[in-house]
Amino acid sequence: MKNKWRAGFLAASLGIAGVLAGCSSDGENSSSGDSSKDVKIDIFQFKVEFKDQFEAVAKAYEKENEGVDINITTVGGGEDYGAALRSKFASGNEPAIYNIGGPQDVSDWSDKLADLSGTAAADAAQKGSLDGVSVDGKVLGLPFNQEGYGFIYNKNVFEKAGIDPASIIDFASLEAAVKELDSQKADLGLESVFALPGKETWVTGLHLSNTFIAPEFDNNVLTAYESKTIDYKYGDAFKKILDLQNDYSAQPTVSLDYSKQVEELFSLQKVAMIQQGNWVYGSIAGIDEDFAANDIGLLPIPVEGYEGDSIPVGIPMYWGVNSNADEAVVEESKKFIDWLYTSDAGKETVLNDFKFIPAYEGYDSSKISDPLSKAVYEYAEQGKTIGWTFMGYPTGWGQDELGVQIQKYLSDEASWEEVIEATKESWESSRK
Amino acid sequence: MRTKDLAYWLFLLPVLVALTIVVVAPLFLGVYYSFTDWNGIQTNNFVGFDNYVALFQDERFLDSLWFTVKFSVVSIFLINAIGLSLALLVTANLKSNKLLRTIFFMPNLIGGLILGFIWQFIFTKAFDGFGSLLGIESLQGWLSTSTTGFWALVILMSWQMSGYIMVIYIAYLEGISNELLEAAEIDGASPFQRFRLVVFPLVAPAFTVSMFLTLSNTFKLYDQNLSLTGGGPYNSTQMVAMEIFNTAFGRYEMAYAQSKAVIFFLIVAAIALLQVYISKKREVEM
Repeated sequence: MKNKWRAGFLAASLGIAGVLAGCSSDGENSSSGDSSKDVKIDIFQFKVEFKDQFEAVAKAYEKENEGVDINITTVGGGEDYGAALRSKFASGNEPAIYNIGGPQDVSDWSDKLADLSGTAAADAAQKGSLDGVSVDGKVLGLPFNQEGYGFIYNKNVFEKAGIDPASIIDFASLEAAVKELDSQKADLGLESVFALPGKETWVTGLHLSNTFIAPEFDNNVLTAYESKTIDYKYGDAFKKILDLQNDYSAQPTVSLDYSKQVEELFSLQKVAMIQQGNWVYGSIAGIDEDFAANDIGLLPIPVEGYEGDSIPVGIPMYWGVNSNADEAVVEESKKFIDWLYTSDAGKETVLNDFKFIPAYEGYDSSKISDPLSKAVYEYAEQGKTIGWTFMGYPTGWGQDELGVQIQKYLSDEASWEEVIEATKESWESSRK
Repeated sequence: MRTKDLAYWLFLLPVLVALTIVVVAPLFLGVYYSFTDWNGIQTNNFVGFDNYVALFQDERFLDSLWFTVKFSVVSIFLINAIGLSLALLVTANLKSNKLLRTIFFMPNLIGGLILGFIWQFIFTKAFDGFGSLLGIESLQGWLSTSTTGFWALVILMSWQMSGYIMVIYIAYLEGISNELLEAAEIDGASPFQRFRLVVFPLVAPAFTVSMFLTLSNTFKLYDQNLSLTGGGPYNSTQMVAMEIFNTAFGRYEMAYAQSKAVIFFLIVAAIALLQVYISKKREVEM
């Protein structure tokens, strides 16, 4: 009897000790930092593509600034960053620097964002780039980089077909060029003119739609964010471009995905044009480096009744600093971001290692290496841009509502009017 | 008597603590959240049954529920039919018995996500290739309509799960004593009669097990759904699990998603309890 008791106690205490050990916090470790004045900056970021380069930069910064310890965690790509960030905060292990996307994120996280106005990076940020993260005179985020999209086209094919890309400045000229390409597609070795990825609701529901919705909201993400309704002022122009892409696309469009669009069809030169942004450069270069470096260019998406020669350029993500963190950590975090975007060494990395299109002033644009990014920067310099307002759509609206409705439209399950009506309603109901 | 023993409870304690922390507590917490407007960051208000009321008018949720039911019914039927046929095949006196069993069981060892991507390739590339080669239009454009999406999922699931169900049937088939079959043969029963009148009633208990196994598996399906169709086109092939996930992590309506999950839990729990009830009843009869 006694033995059984003892065994029972042992089992119970071992088991519970195991459970509790799993839950133990690392509170002791972090408090020991006080004596050596170490500041630990936890960065929780989403951009998988530049993880290695970013970690290398952080190491370099640590070397220069003794007593600063930067710890980078990357969750992104296929993972859901927003969900991961929420669980990170819920676990109590809050990062010092994290990424926020736009007005919705800013309002969701407003209690946990420090004011970054007065930092060198905030002063150097390009005009308009802080619109989406400025609340009551406070700057709650600093731009990551700039990105832009339009119709990426195959220069060779255009040349062979005798079309001057510079002549495409409105819908009529685009349509004429598409028809011309279509009539010669056998000679040009094309399967079709476009590849419209209806499966990727972010391409249709966010990017394409933004081109036509942004002008309605004065190209300002905050106007979109605060708007209770959506009118589709340029809805007809929207339909025309969507139809044009769909009619002259490889079929079936509704199940066409990113890899088929970019890698299989465009990179292998089976289609002449795709609606994508500067971020696809890597994908294309991965298949045909020579083609990516020399033979691709960026055309505008014409908005009939508005601008015909502009491309949407915007800030995909911002850096936010956690206001719950210790004073010293917040200060060091600001310093790190300043250094990254405004010091000479930082600028060098941003351009050459990260291959970013900088959203800050004082960069030498001729150093931008890939043709798509260069084109985006040039459009931005000439002011031929349309804003990014899709961050100001109601949460999930762009992809889950509009993108899905567009899929219905592409499968002939809904008319265009039904798409407009349904999405207008869901916009209003989520902004009540 | 044993339950009064303190040592008994002491041995049980670690498991009870672990279960409470990872199963019981989250369950109650989840039910609590479903009555609030939790958005994943903070809870602002207690909203009572609002989420549940909204949910029964939510076309998306009801559509996905209906799709799941349709899918489950068709899959259960196909998986069991194929599983039983395979079991009959490999219990017949073939030389390649062992090898065939392994082969039929193999799909079950591959993870659902990967299977989804493999089949996506088959449906969109191989089917398409054969279709354009032979001029069969119905083989082209798979996964781009909701009908083909539905059947693609059914095919994938049947292919994956039949082997597993086959194993269950094999166990029952091999339990049938040869005397019965021989006696029937001597009485002049044809092979079909032997199957229908002797074998079939004797493997009937296996149906209950297999049916509920396939039912709960198909009902809770997520990974194959995600990688094969992703719910597309226009969310018409979205199953309940995926719909809940998208509500929670796509639109961040955490509390609302939680209320859907509670309903989903009740349905799955009902199915499971029914299974226990029926199989217990049968055990008594046997």
